Amino acid sequence: MSATLAELLRHPALWRGAGIVDAPVTVPTGFRRLDERLPGGGWPRSRLIEMLVPAAGVGEIRLLMPALRALSAARTAAPRWIAWLGPPHLPYAPALADAGLDPAHTLVIRPQARLDLLWAMEQALRSSACAAVLGWAAAVGDQALRRLSLAAAEGQSIGFLLRPSCHRSEASPAALRLLLTAGEKGLDIEILKSLGGVPSRIDSLPIH
Amino acid sequence: MSEARPATTTPVPAEFRRAPAPAACGAAPATAAVARELWLAAHFPQLPLEALLPMAGGARAAGLELHERRPAAEAALLDRLARWALQFTPAVSIEPPAALVAEVRGSLGLFGGAMALCRRAQAGLRAAGLRANVALAPTPRGALWLARAGIGIAAVRADAMPGLAARLPLACLAWPADVIGTLSALGIRNVADLARLPRDGFTRRFGPALQQELDEGLGRRRQPRRRHVVPERFDERLELPAETGSTAQLEPAAERLLAGLGAFLRARASGLSGLRVDLLHRERAPTRIRIGLTRPSGHEEHLRLLLRERLAQCRLPATVVALRFRSGVLLPLSLRDAGLFEQGRAADPEATARLLERLRARLGEDAVFGVCSVPEHRPERAWRIAEPGGTTPLPGHWPVSRPARPLWMLAEPQQLAGWDGVLVTGPERIETGWWDGHDVRRDYYVAMTRGGVRLWIFRERPPGQGWFLHGVFG
Repeated sequence: MSATLAELLRHPALWRGAGIVDAPVTVPTGFRRLDERLPGGGWPRSRLIEMLVPAAGVGEIRLLMPALRALSAARTAAPRWIAWLGPPHLPYAPALADAGLDPAHTLVIRPQARLDLLWAMEQALRSSACAAVLGWAAAVGDQALRRLSLAAAEGQSIGFLLRPSCHRSEASPAALRLLLTAGEKGLDIEILKSLGGVPSRIDSLPIH
Repeated sequence: MSEARPATTTPVPAEFRRAPAPAACGAAPATAAVARELWLAAHFPQLPLEALLPMAGGARAAGLELHERRPAAEAALLDRLARWALQFTPAVSIEPPAALVAEVRGSLGLFGGAMALCRRAQAGLRAAGLRANVALAPTPRGALWLARAGIGIAAVRADAMPGLAARLPLACLAWPADVIGTLSALGIRNVADLARLPRDGFTRRFGPALQQELDEGLGRRRQPRRRHVVPERFDERLELPAETGSTAQLEPAAERLLAGLGAFLRARASGLSGLRVDLLHRERAPTRIRIGLTRPSGHEEHLRLLLRERLAQCRLPATVVALRFRSGVLLPLSLRDAGLFEQGRAADPEATARLLERLRARLGEDAVFGVCSVPEHRPERAWRIAEPGGTTPLPGHWPVSRPARPLWMLAEPQQLAGWDGVLVTGPERIETGWWDGHDVRRDYYVAMTRGGVRLWIFRERPPGQGWFLHGVFG
């Protein structure tokens, strides 16, 4: 059966989406079950990642925390900052320190206008000063998303864009799109889009 | 009387030429015949006009306009040009009224040879909107003669000057008119004729000073030069060609001042800690823009971006007539080598500072900040806003075994009305601060809402006012 399948898969007329992208450079998410589903085994570096949440606080930051810790602790000569753009509340320094993030490498940016936020996020991604840029925005146009993707690639930085889950059906150039919902025993993650991977679903990922 | 000779020099060459063999060789001055010193001279035949109309790029009137000459402006322009020339060599001197000379022998390797250097100098001056004649010779005065005569060649051999003397008209010497008149009457047409005159007779008739000049020019005698010294600060103003009320129209002028500032910083090998830009109005106090830099920077492009953001935000109370740039304290730039094993552009300490400045230029100082922990038990006082990148190590006795803190902290505790969640952990009692009047006596719990959001809530002690929301575990 598997031999037949392998033979079938070798057929030149058969096109498979999974192989078109080279395995991306990644940073492990810190959650084995999630790593297994993501191409390259982690968050893709130099990419834009969209995370759709029903409400702020379902666990999106706890999901990112192991990766942020790894990025911020990476031994490079320059400080690789974690930038927080337009967060719903202020990041609490003692909690950052508890989680293993150096508060000294935290940059909080709170612009007044939405356009300023997208501009600032693009600058932060492009500057190559930030290891990761977390941005909270609701309505983001297709062109702005494209600009952010390009900026992430140029600055070799990971952009996490957190948006309300009502935007789940919109098309997006992000390399990875996740829909997060809080379940009974953990976080339910639906991978809506994954460049070089396949959409799938993870139920009750314990993140505490 | 000899035949009439035009008072001015020969026409300006369109492009820089190589000196004819054997008087010169090109880009590889490695032979023994190459002079120990090589002097680049630039003569500006239209300097009085160019000093008068600093921004005359596009808008020069067709008719005849009469202006008085402004010697101070000419001197200032020459001073700026000397500063610009410092990018080629540290040994630059001003040759009043309208020329510069610079010793460039040691810089030939860096700039790819004598020809390349001369072309670069000429292109730079042309880009600045100046008409300039550039020449290179083994003696400063010889180079100056060549430049004044408009003979754009690079003569690098030590014995080049006597060979070129036949092509130098008397006018390029810039000697007094009566001396030139007498020499012309004697049938002397060029410097070569002059060099053939008997020395003692020449000295007796015209004085030792002119003989000395001749010797210096032909390389028979060394001519010490005083170096041009750059001032400690950059302070320049530029009149706009026309008054304007729009910041967009200030950009060409700002561009020109920035180019000057860049040359100044390069000449001093320094960076800027801050820049003050004054937009001068006719009858009002100037509009001031301050650009602060977190790290000393000499990056012209970066300054340009910062200034553009600030200009775009600026509201002009009146039309602007001039711009003035004043530098803050200059600081030496720290040059940094890239590590062998570092990859790509990841390790650029300047990138962080540049990012901060750009964000602050557009969003305001307060919109961009860092955070740091403070050793304090009251949750709202256990942190504060800090300058990004500032390090505040925690004291060693700080308890690390306390329960987890939420990632998001509300600015003010919020009273919860109609609360129906589940308490997950707690209580954590925090009761302190009685000594400074801001005492707290609270029991904190971790709670979970129906939507699955984990909250940090508290109840005052003794219980009375109900539940307050203080933080969210993101």
